[in-house]
Amino acid sequence: MNKTIIKATQLKKTYDLTKTNKVQALRGMDMEVHEGDFTAIVGPSGCGKSTLLHMLGLLDTPDEGTLVIDGIDTSKMKEYEAHQIRAKKIGFVFQGFNLIPALTALENVMLAGKYGGLNYADRKKRAMELLTTMGLGDRVDHRPNELSGGQQQRVALARALMNNPSIILADEPTGELDSNTSLEIINTLKKLNQEKNQTFVIVTHNNEVANACKKILHVKDGRNA
Amino acid sequence: MKEIFRNMWRRKMRSILTIFGIAIGIFAFTVMGSLALKINKMISGGKRFITGQITVMPKGTVASAFGEGGGSAFLAVDTLNKIAQVDGVEAVAGGISLSLKEVDLNDPSSQSMSFGPPPTIQAMDLDSTFQNRNWATMDMESGHMITKEDGDNAITVGYTIAGDNNLKVDDTFNVRGTDFKVVGITAQTLTGPDQYVFMPMKPARQLLVDSVPFLKSLVERSTEALNITDTELAKLPEATRTQIAEAKGFKLEDINQMAAVSWKDGQDADTVATRIKDQFKDEAVVLSPKALGEMIDKASAIFNTMILGSALIALIVGGFSIINTMIMSISERKKEIGIKKALGASRKAIASEYTLEAGVIGFIGGLIGMGLGALLATILNKNTSAEIFLLSPGFLGGVVAFSFVLGIIAGIIPAVKASRMPAVDAIREL
Repeated sequence: MNKTIIKATQLKKTYDLTKTNKVQALRGMDMEVHEGDFTAIVGPSGCGKSTLLHMLGLLDTPDEGTLVIDGIDTSKMKEYEAHQIRAKKIGFVFQGFNLIPALTALENVMLAGKYGGLNYADRKKRAMELLTTMGLGDRVDHRPNELSGGQQQRVALARALMNNPSIILADEPTGELDSNTSLEIINTLKKLNQEKNQTFVIVTHNNEVANACKKILHVKDGRNA
Repeated sequence: MKEIFRNMWRRKMRSILTIFGIAIGIFAFTVMGSLALKINKMISGGKRFITGQITVMPKGTVASAFGEGGGSAFLAVDTLNKIAQVDGVEAVAGGISLSLKEVDLNDPSSQSMSFGPPPTIQAMDLDSTFQNRNWATMDMESGHMITKEDGDNAITVGYTIAGDNNLKVDDTFNVRGTDFKVVGITAQTLTGPDQYVFMPMKPARQLLVDSVPFLKSLVERSTEALNITDTELAKLPEATRTQIAEAKGFKLEDINQMAAVSWKDGQDADTVATRIKDQFKDEAVVLSPKALGEMIDKASAIFNTMILGSALIALIVGGFSIINTMIMSISERKKEIGIKKALGASRKAIASEYTLEAGVIGFIGGLIGMGLGALLATILNKNTSAEIFLLSPGFLGGVVAFSFVLGIIAGIIPAVKASRMPAVDAIREL
């Protein structure tokens, strides 16, 4: 068994939408991910799977419970420590691609390297390599709105891989793609998982995607289901 | 940096309007500032001159320290001679100044009503050994400063007067109906003397008498009175005899609007001024270099307040429009901030990116405003005879730097706000 890279214990989170309207997004969630896992988080919409992913990515903090990432307890971590873990250990892929519209494909990928502390020459070199691997070598100077959905998601993937993170978190990575393109992206992810032993946690409600994953974590009403 | 320009380009209209707002503020700042710089320079030049002498003015005069005399009061030549005897006084020189052209309030182009120093006749007492302690001689463009040997129809003209009237040495220049010969042109000072015509006392007194009907009749009566023989006088009533005796007592040399007094080496100017003041308190107002220096400092303080005031307006208007733009821009780019945070951007990185963007907006606005301001000042300088704006490269550079810093400062609040936005709030809007 590979070592545990993520261990979440009894995570709870309540959002106060208004004074009287509170949403209990997580009601005590447990999760364990080992290095090299390819895990899917599935469940109906509103079950708290995105909230869970945001917590794993240190974009949100739990009200209760503990979260240990790569041996570091992050549940009470301050922002100035959290951003370094986000930059170096975690790569994010979002549903809506979320490339920065003002930047070209290359610059979008390079941006992650900047926050990861790479110098300009190194990040340019690495971004070029990644985009070429993704089959986008001839599209590097295009802006996001000049790229297709699949191409945009591959740029986003290259961006997530920029700092060579040990964990890649993907929130509905195929949500806006047609089934062929979805399959392509999933295959790319699987290839990375096999070749580089990078850990993947994917939120999805697409059964095909979920079936491609080695492990499936079911979430319902903010709890393990 | 590229990202900043592209972001600005994405919201062209808003960026342009913001830049325009700052440009207006900086434009006003540039114009007001270069005006105040010019005035400050003139004031400090004037201060150097005026603190190099003790200035004596007749009681009842309403003259300013630099301007024309009031015309209603004069220092009699006897008084000047007596002042010369005061302990510590080295020399005394009478003085007259009047505007080069006769004031015509119905003529809007009249120089006397324009802003800036009007062309002025400055009479020099060439008989006196008086020299200003800070300003012994003027640098010359060509020719020389008038001396006693040049005679009564010689003048030396200031740089601007020479330029405006296309004068060279040996040319003839008509001043208020009288022809004068130009013997010299002073070098450009960018201050008052550029607009001066230096002439001996005698013709200046004549010009002054000709321009003031009251003086003219006084001089005529004086001449008439001198022609009345003693036998004729004896026949007249006593009241008339007193009037005639008074008229006889008036001499053209008594027309001195002011007097400049220099002090002997080793004497304290203010002590000498006090001595003169004590002795002539009924006839004269004595302004010590110290008193005048303080007066001038007060005046320059007013102009410096003008600079500060216009800077403040630029600051407020420009600053708020930058803050407004940045807040809007940031709420629009909430998502982008979330992505950047997810990519591992630190708060500092986010804050500095947006602060720099505001700084660039300030810089561009400053550059445009400064450019327009400098352009207007240059055009106005060229189209009016008086150069009323001083465009120093240091000041202009400083204005742009100021605008950049203003942008940075205005950007800090929205940028810090952006950096503190919880990443998940931004992300959840996806």
